[in-house]
Amino acid sequence: MARSANGSGLKQLNHSGMKWDDSGKNGYHRITTEKLGAGISTASRQNKQESFEQAPMYVAVCTYMGFGIVTLFGYFRDFLRAVGLEKCNLAQEREEQKDFVPLYQDFENFYTRNLYMRVRDNWNRPICSLPGPVFDLMERVSDDYNWTFRFTGRTIPNVINMGSYNYLGFAENNADFLKTVADKVQQYGAGVCSTRQEIGNLSIHEELEQLVANFLGVESAMTYGMGFATNSMNIPALVGKGCLILSDELNHTSLILGARLSGATIRVFKHNNMHSLEKMLKEAICCGQPRTHRAWRKILIMVEGIYSMEGSVVRLPEVIALKKKYKAHLYLDEAHSIGAVGATGRGVTELFHVNPADVDVMMGTFTKSFGASGGYIAGKKELVDYLRSHSHSAVYASAMSPPVTEQIIRAIKCIMGKDGTTEGIRRIRQLAENTRYFRARLKEMGFIIYGNDDSPVIPVLLYMPGKVVAFAREMLQRKIGVVVVGFPATPITEARARFCLSAAHTRAMLNQVLQHLNEVGDLLCLKFSRRKRPSSLDLCEETDFGLDS
Amino acid sequence: MNVGTAHSEVNPNTRVMNSRGMWLSYTLSIGLLHLILLSIPFVSVPVVWTLTNMIHNLCMYLLLHTVKGTPFQTPDQGKARLLTHWEQMDYGVQFTASRKFLTVTPIVLYLLTSFYTKYDRVHFVVNTVSLLTVLIPKLPQLHGVRIFGINKY
Repeated sequence: MARSANGSGLKQLNHSGMKWDDSGKNGYHRITTEKLGAGISTASRQNKQESFEQAPMYVAVCTYMGFGIVTLFGYFRDFLRAVGLEKCNLAQEREEQKDFVPLYQDFENFYTRNLYMRVRDNWNRPICSLPGPVFDLMERVSDDYNWTFRFTGRTIPNVINMGSYNYLGFAENNADFLKTVADKVQQYGAGVCSTRQEIGNLSIHEELEQLVANFLGVESAMTYGMGFATNSMNIPALVGKGCLILSDELNHTSLILGARLSGATIRVFKHNNMHSLEKMLKEAICCGQPRTHRAWRKILIMVEGIYSMEGSVVRLPEVIALKKKYKAHLYLDEAHSIGAVGATGRGVTELFHVNPADVDVMMGTFTKSFGASGGYIAGKKELVDYLRSHSHSAVYASAMSPPVTEQIIRAIKCIMGKDGTTEGIRRIRQLAENTRYFRARLKEMGFIIYGNDDSPVIPVLLYMPGKVVAFAREMLQRKIGVVVVGFPATPITEARARFCLSAAHTRAMLNQVLQHLNEVGDLLCLKFSRRKRPSSLDLCEETDFGLDS
Repeated sequence: MNVGTAHSEVNPNTRVMNSRGMWLSYTLSIGLLHLILLSIPFVSVPVVWTLTNMIHNLCMYLLLHTVKGTPFQTPDQGKARLLTHWEQMDYGVQFTASRKFLTVTPIVLYLLTSFYTKYDRVHFVVNTVSLLTVLIPKLPQLHGVRIFGINKY
């Protein structure tokens, strides 16, 4: 996109003297003002802000009431189980060992047995087709209130899939597209049976790394077989004791695990809050290490491109300005944003028109937008060469298997246009259009959604525990599969349903989902938004003047 | 690990009392309790106030100072297993806003009760003992202290 994300970001870019394509941006704005008047262009710039609207207070009070009632009933049921009036389905101590030190901590699974078990038919649903835009679910019923399940033998066909990270629609079964993958299996075999450092370095890996480096616009890249392990095994190779890690509040588990394994000091700053980050940077540089007050060996700022539970996008220009001012390093985890945002799918660096060389370590995964598995770390040649010998993954983990590597290669070639078709760019535009349409329609209906308008991850806030469950069940009855999350995975008042859009979703599917969402929203009273809703008229104009890739 | 969580908070219990609307819900629930007690016929107003005070303090003592650990598994390897909810709040930092609020509320309730019971002697003794059971465990000197080994494990 030729526009940058937010106004304040622009000012900081100017101060740090970075260049970007000025004339293109100005030219674009002139065209829009000529065509449609000044109102629309300011509205579209406001669109790029992130929103985390708070629900009215009565919603929070009702949420606590809901948890309180469920807790009371939980205690009551525990009492009945202890007395013997209710069958206890949990693991229990043997009779002769009842006087020993207890083996099971009863209170720790209070939540699991009294809340989660009652409603756990909404999670871990087995699917029996590939996770494309529609999939088949296996029908399962429970005779004892979700303690055990049995399959009826039937499947629920053609459930619309709003939960898979299938952003560009590469989770597909097209024989033509997959022909190269089949050829590579013939040529290289299915597995590698070795680590990269021993005899597992195949020529196809070199080809992939070259391609990834070209795709991202950096000097060099290295790929690993598992996305989670890319973070947890490489951060210890980059930082160690005496270094400082400034990590965002909502960072993924893999980043937290990598940070803990490294032995560096970890400080957490408030989500996407640049004041908090700057305060911590200043304090780190002024005060140094905790007791000795020596300077930190390295300061590493860890952020993600798109945060998967909030849908928010990192404020990349501001982080880079801070990093340059205080001479820290930046680790950017683009697990959800690579391939999904940016005009040609290059991720948040392209979204904000930032030079990729400014980000010291670019990390990403191939699981989401590329329909494969694994991760990469990209950056300067010295960095990647160092990781080739010092990374734990390179030495101990087995290398990426050839068919998976070929799938990533063909997906990247498709996105870059190197396979000779415009399929890649079509998918990226379709995803951007789907994202914009879906978000705009949801806001218009009155739901509270979090996140940036560009992100294909859309959390719809449900708040109350009963509504979370009712929502998931009701949507399944209408043949739409959604992912819901509640406490303690989210803060107690922010239970949500997370929609992940895909380029493979057609407008008809989205309309069907939106229509059902509308009905379920009215049925369960989920439309808490108190914002002024844009009328449908503005909406038509917005999507009509076309995509500004 | 915090697998599948939307935050990097090791123990969500520490933030529950700071959440939006919790203080209001707490005050409203005291009001609701009082209304329910007032609806019982043949019970006089001073007795109702003393009952409110006593039931509130009893529930607070049970929930904040007796029940230990978390109702869900946390990735902190059991650091909070032997801590009551009061000790877990804000990871043990003293004098935070929620702690001050939860200390002040029983005192305000006690003052109201004293007024409505017209400072009668029996009511005074009962209410004061009840208030002390709820105030003493909140002192920072008693953080992690288990008198006579009661409730240690």
